[in-house]
Amino acid sequence: MSHDSPPETASDPGRSSSRRRFVKAVGVAGAVGLAGCQDGAGPGAGTGTGDGTGGDGGGGGGGPVEMAMPSNVTDRAEDTRQALYDAGLSEDVEVSFLSTSEISGDVEAQYRSWLNAGRETPDVFRMDSGWTIPFIVRDQLVNLSERLSQEALSMLDEHYFEAPLESARAPAQAVGGGGADTDTGTGGGGPRGELYGVPWQVGFPTIQYRSDLVTDAGFDPEGESWATEPMTWQRFSEVVSETHGNADVEYGFNWQGTDYVGLSCCTFNEFMSTWGGAYFGGRDTLFGPVGERPVTVNEEPVHQALRMVRTLIHGSDDEQALDGYQQISPNAVLEWTEGPSLSPFTNGNAVALRYWPSGIFEAATAFEESGDLSPDDLGTMPIPYAVSEDESEYEGIGGTASALGGWHLTVNPNSQNIDAAVQVIEATMQQSFREFQFSELGYLTGDRRLFDPENVGDVEPWGPHLETLRVAGENAIPRPVTVVWPDQSSQIASRVNAVIAQQQAPEDAMSALAGSLEEIEQSV
Amino acid sequence: MATSDEHGRGRVRSAAVAPANWTERLSEQGFAYVLLVPTLLLVSTMALWPLVSTFEMSLRADALFSAAYVGEFVGFENYVELLTGERNAILGSPFLDFGQPFQSALTVTLIYVAIAVTLETAIGFGQALVLDQSFRGRRWVRVAILIPWAVPIAIQGLIFWLFFQPGIGVGTDVMQSLGVFSANPLINTTDTLIIVIVADVWKTSAFMALLILAGLQSVDRSLYEVARVAGASKVQQFRYITFPLVLPALLVALLFRTIQSMRVYGIIETTGGCSTLPSLTCLVVSTFRSGRYATSAAVAFITAGIVALVALVYIVKFADLEVGT
Repeated sequence: MSHDSPPETASDPGRSSSRRRFVKAVGVAGAVGLAGCQDGAGPGAGTGTGDGTGGDGGGGGGGPVEMAMPSNVTDRAEDTRQALYDAGLSEDVEVSFLSTSEISGDVEAQYRSWLNAGRETPDVFRMDSGWTIPFIVRDQLVNLSERLSQEALSMLDEHYFEAPLESARAPAQAVGGGGADTDTGTGGGGPRGELYGVPWQVGFPTIQYRSDLVTDAGFDPEGESWATEPMTWQRFSEVVSETHGNADVEYGFNWQGTDYVGLSCCTFNEFMSTWGGAYFGGRDTLFGPVGERPVTVNEEPVHQALRMVRTLIHGSDDEQALDGYQQISPNAVLEWTEGPSLSPFTNGNAVALRYWPSGIFEAATAFEESGDLSPDDLGTMPIPYAVSEDESEYEGIGGTASALGGWHLTVNPNSQNIDAAVQVIEATMQQSFREFQFSELGYLTGDRRLFDPENVGDVEPWGPHLETLRVAGENAIPRPVTVVWPDQSSQIASRVNAVIAQQQAPEDAMSALAGSLEEIEQSV
Repeated sequence: MATSDEHGRGRVRSAAVAPANWTERLSEQGFAYVLLVPTLLLVSTMALWPLVSTFEMSLRADALFSAAYVGEFVGFENYVELLTGERNAILGSPFLDFGQPFQSALTVTLIYVAIAVTLETAIGFGQALVLDQSFRGRRWVRVAILIPWAVPIAIQGLIFWLFFQPGIGVGTDVMQSLGVFSANPLINTTDTLIIVIVADVWKTSAFMALLILAGLQSVDRSLYEVARVAGASKVQQFRYITFPLVLPALLVALLFRTIQSMRVYGIIETTGGCSTLPSLTCLVVSTFRSGRYATSAAVAFITAGIVALVALVYIVKFADLEVGT
C-alpha cells in the first residue's frame, strides 16, 4: 500500500505510517525553515539598514543626521546636502534624507508612532506648523532655546516672522514638562515661550487676481497700492463684482468653503479675524491654556463675518445679507477645497482667488503657457479686512489676516546625535541656504529678508508678489493649535459650512458651536 | 560495541520518533485538533491578541498630553459616555441620536446597510439569473457586469465625486432638475447618502451576482424539466426550486456583504466626507486621528459588537436552513 494513499479507518496501518511521516516531514520542514532563516540572517544581513541612516557615522561633533523630508527635497538630496555644507555645516556631519508622505495628516501619524515608540531616527523632523505644538506639549521634541546658539536665536527674533515662531513655541499649557531632562536638554514642554522648532517653509494666503481684467474695468491697482495696502471686504466685493460684470469669465471670487479642516484653520479664520473675531479670545490665548481660555465664537464680529460670507455667496436675497456687499462667489465654493477652486483661476476663468503662495506659481505658469495671458496679468493683494485692529476687542486681531501655513524643523529627543542635528538646523538658517531653498526648491522661508526683492533679485514668478507676501506674513494668524484642536476643528468646519450654506442661522449655529467647543475644552 | 556517537544518534532518533508515536494513539478528532494547533496559534497572534489589546485600550482614558497612547484605567467609562451621548462633542457626530438619524453614525450606517444590501441583492440576483442563461455574448456581459467590482474604492469615489462636483460634473444639475438633490449635494447628508448608496450598488452588485450565480449553477437542471412536465409556471419554478436551493448561497453572500457594508468608510471619505455622512468607521478613524486612541478603541469595539450581532442573525438563519435540510 502506498504511503500516499488516503487512510480509510483509524486502525488502518497505512494511515499510521502517513501520520508518522507527516509529523516527521513537518518537523524537518520546520527545521529547514528555521535554518533558512538563520542563513538568511547571515552573510547577506546588515548590508542595508533600510532607514537611510547612512554609514557608520563619525565621532566628535559630526556623525549621521537623518532628516525626514518630502520628495521634492529627497529628489534633490545631493544638491540640498551640498547647500548645507556651503552654508557652513561641518562635513563631518553626514546628512541623509528619509522620504515622508506629502499628506500632512499622514506625516503627523507617522511621527507620533515613531516618537511614541522611542525611535532614534530620523534625527530632524519636518513638522507642520499646524500640529507641532501637541508634540511640544507631549515632551516629544528637543528644546531648541537651550540648544541653538545665541546668534541663531537672535537671528530668529530679529529677522523671522512672528506667527511661525509662535506656532513652534511651548504654549501656556505645556508648563511642567514632567519628563524634561535638564542634563541632556532633551526634555520638551518647558516654560512658555521656549522654542522647539525653526521655520523651514512658510505659506500665507493672499488674494490673487486678474490684473488685466480689473484694469479693463477701470481700476488702478498700482496707483492704489493694492499689493501692499489691504482694502476692505466691501470695496473688494465691489471691485470683483464690477470686474466680473465687465469680463467674459465664469467666476468672480473663488475660495475654499467646504466642510473640511481648511475652512476652520484657514479660510474662515481669516474671514473672522478680519472682522475682529476669534475662536478663543485674542492671540494670547490661541494656544491655551485649554479649559481656561474663553470661547468667543458666539460674538457679534463672528456673526458679522458669517453674514458677509453668506452675502458674498448668496447675494442680497439672503435673509442674513449685509448691506453694501456684492454677490461675488459661486455657490460651488461651498464644496470647494484647494484644487477645485484653483483650476478655474489658472484657466483664466475667474477674477480672483484666495489661495496659498503655490497658487502664484501655478497661475503664473498657466498664464504663460496659455498664450492668451502672461504672468504680468497676475496681481496679488493681502486678504481684505472689515474692521481695523483698533476697532477689534481683541489685541492683535482685526485688519488684514492670512492663515499661517508651513513647516518647522524639529529635533528628535531620542536622537543619538542631537548636537549634529542642531548644527544642521543652524545651517538651514544661513542666508545662502535660504536662498537655495527659495530659488532652487521653490520654498518661501520664514526669513523676512527674503521677501525683499532687493535681497533676492527678480526670481520668477515670485518677484512682483514678494511685497504682498511680506504683508501677509506680518499679519499671519495661526490656527489655535492645542491637543484638542482636531476635535474642535471638525466642529467649527461643520457649523460654519452649515451657516454659509444657509442651513443654519449664524446666531443659532455659533451658540451651539460655543457649547461644543467649551465641552471639548473641559474634556481634558 | 556501540560507540558514543551511535548512542547519541540513537537518543536523537528516539526523541524524534516519540512524538510521532504519540500521534498514533490519538483519535481521529484529536489528531485533527493537533493539526489545527499551528493555525490556532497563528490566528491567536494575528487576530486574538490585537483584539484583546484593543479591548484593554478601550478601558483606559485618552492621553492627549502625554507620549503614552492611553492613560489610566477607567473601566467602561468610554462605552457609557459614547452610548449616552456625553462624547458627542468630541466625536464630531453623535454615535447614536434617534432625533438626528442622518447625523448619527449608528443610524446612518444601519440605513446605508439596509438600503444598499437590499438593492445589491436584488440587482445581483437579477444579474445572476441573466448570467445563468446560455446566450450569445454571455462572456462579454459577464465582463461588463464584473468591471465595476474591479474598480478600486478610491477611483470609484473619485468618479462619483467628480460627477457631482460643481463646475466639473453634470450630476448635480441633472438631479437638481429632477428635483431630487439640493444645490450642493456633497455637503448635504441625505444627498450624500444617496450618492454613496448608488456608488456602492454600482460597484458591489457584481459581487452578489457572482456568489448567487455559483448557487444557481449548482441547481440540478432536471428539476426544472420535472417542474415543466408538471405544469409549473416560471414564477412557481423560481419560488419552489430556484430560490430555496439558492438560499444557502444567498445567505452567505448577504452575510459577507452586510459585514462589509457595516464597515463602510472609503466611499464616504472620497465623496462627501465623514463630516457630511458619519458612519461607525468614520468615528473610529476621526477619533484615532485626533489622538484619542482609547475612545477610538471603544468605538471600534462597539462597532465590532454590532457587526457580530448582525452576523449572528445570518448564522442562526443559516443553521436553521441546515437543520431543515
